[in-house]
Amino acid sequence: MKKIVSMMLVLVLALGVLSACNGNEAGDKDTSTNDSAVTTENKGEALSGTVKTGGSTSVEKVMNALIYQFQDENRDVTINYEMNGSGDGIKNTLSGMYEIGHSSRELKKDGSEDGLVATPYAIDGIAVVIHKDNGVKSLNADQLRDIYTGEITNWKEVGGKDAPITVVTREASSGTRSAFAEIIGLEKDDDDSTALVASATTCDSTGAVQTTVSQNDNAIGYMSFSDVDTAKVKTVQFDGVDITTDTLKDGSYKLKREFYLITKEGATLSPAAQAFIDFVVGEDGQKLVSDNKLLPVK
Amino acid sequence: MEHSILRSAKTKSAVEHVMHMLFVVCGLIAVVAVLFISIYMVASGGPAIAKIGVWEFLFGQIWNPEAGTFGILPFILSSIVATALAIFIAVPIGLGAAIFLTHIADKKTGGVFLFIVELLASIPSVVYGLLGAMLVAPMIFKLQNMLSLSQSGSLLSASIVLVIMILPTIISVSVSSIQSVPKAYNDASLALGASKMQSIFKVILPAAKSGIAAGIVLGVGRAIGETMAVMMVAGNAAIMPSLLGPVRLLTVGISLEWAYSSGLHREALYGIGLVLFVFIMIINILLSFILKKGGKKS
Repeated sequence: MKKIVSMMLVLVLALGVLSACNGNEAGDKDTSTNDSAVTTENKGEALSGTVKTGGSTSVEKVMNALIYQFQDENRDVTINYEMNGSGDGIKNTLSGMYEIGHSSRELKKDGSEDGLVATPYAIDGIAVVIHKDNGVKSLNADQLRDIYTGEITNWKEVGGKDAPITVVTREASSGTRSAFAEIIGLEKDDDDSTALVASATTCDSTGAVQTTVSQNDNAIGYMSFSDVDTAKVKTVQFDGVDITTDTLKDGSYKLKREFYLITKEGATLSPAAQAFIDFVVGEDGQKLVSDNKLLPVK
Repeated sequence: MEHSILRSAKTKSAVEHVMHMLFVVCGLIAVVAVLFISIYMVASGGPAIAKIGVWEFLFGQIWNPEAGTFGILPFILSSIVATALAIFIAVPIGLGAAIFLTHIADKKTGGVFLFIVELLASIPSVVYGLLGAMLVAPMIFKLQNMLSLSQSGSLLSASIVLVIMILPTIISVSVSSIQSVPKAYNDASLALGASKMQSIFKVILPAAKSGIAAGIVLGVGRAIGETMAVMMVAGNAAIMPSLLGPVRLLTVGISLEWAYSSGLHREALYGIGLVLFVFIMIINILLSFILKKGGKKS
């Protein structure tokens, strides 16, 4: 531990010396230079302070990578990231507890989440997966909804063999589940609950969904596209469109969700928080987004 | 021991004193831990149960956190039925194995068998879960197919996995209680003209009764507290238990939704913990009652 800390300190010092000589040569490993660091240097003030953020757990992987690199470049800034789900992230940003909230779903339009701005920074496709031996090629939103509400119970009703469908879902309050439920229209109007068939097999993680579907030739599940292993499961076309990075990018594959940074409308953020947002949607941040198997928004 | 500090009477008494205190502290740590856990469980689970309503919580049939409905009757019944079924299958097998090890197998074979049985007890539960998901669940799939049910994790799969997990407990406790029956009983029985089987069933088993009962209760405790292995094979749907349908046990109810839960949902999970805690307490009290009763008789 001590060793790592001292190595990091040395790196900071070295960087400091370098940037003092010439601001444009500041990058250590990335030649695509780091915009925010350069801007702040031009302003002549180093960023410092702690930024409180929190929310979605679905964004964990990419967000930790983003925070790690940002902090690496801005030594005096600490970005806190409490993982407690999109709902809390939005709520606590509204209350002012977080400067930035993390959300893997859109803001609600029913008035309860007014006064907030959602800045998208990554797109995550939701793949519908079935067993590799299953012959069904494509499903549309109606069919998916009927499968997940228990209206359709046999594969032959959607062009497959005569076998009962095993519906696989995620546990209540999972971000993937709520995004999926929203897109295919599973959500009930009166509350946050979903009209999901009660006998659905419930898994507590993306990996568990994939394993369950791979072992059950009549199963159907949904999961983050970035985690799909085609050696284990098969993806189904949604409305006749295959899920690929291209169809996600051009918008023809509709089953997807965006990851957002949530901020208060019209609020002046601390310099560090603003710099972090600029970094995330900037070139370096977007590169990290692609590195984490997500689609950049730009 | 010539140079031991224990030689001097003064240091001797000091050492005695220090060690005495040390052991008192060690004893207290365990007691205090149990005390704190009890208080913590009641303090964190109690309010949610009060908020939801004791009746609605314990006897509500619908668990839908997204809609704010928290009824855990399906979990309670699933736990009880899965455990009962596991015990029902495991006790005859375990008892038979114990009789085999003590009275039928020769000493060497018995020793090897007992060693293997005890090895079985030390296998981590996730391994049982894996084996269950790979071997047991697919067999149940075939059964479900024959009855044209959808193939999924089920109560039966969970119980079969539990049987294998509690067998070592039942066998080893039964073996030691059978072994502690004085040999004279058996000799006397045989001398009076009883056959070997007669003397096993009429003399030895009744004499070892309380020890065997203790083994069964321990098995119940292990089965009802098991989480990981069960979660991997039970399908985890929050519905009323049926033999070939997916079920969610109390333990799984907590761990499945823990990560993303917040607010009353999180508190309700503590509530499930409290119910489970009460279950385990009852089982343990029952156990000490059985042991005490058995102790008095002999």
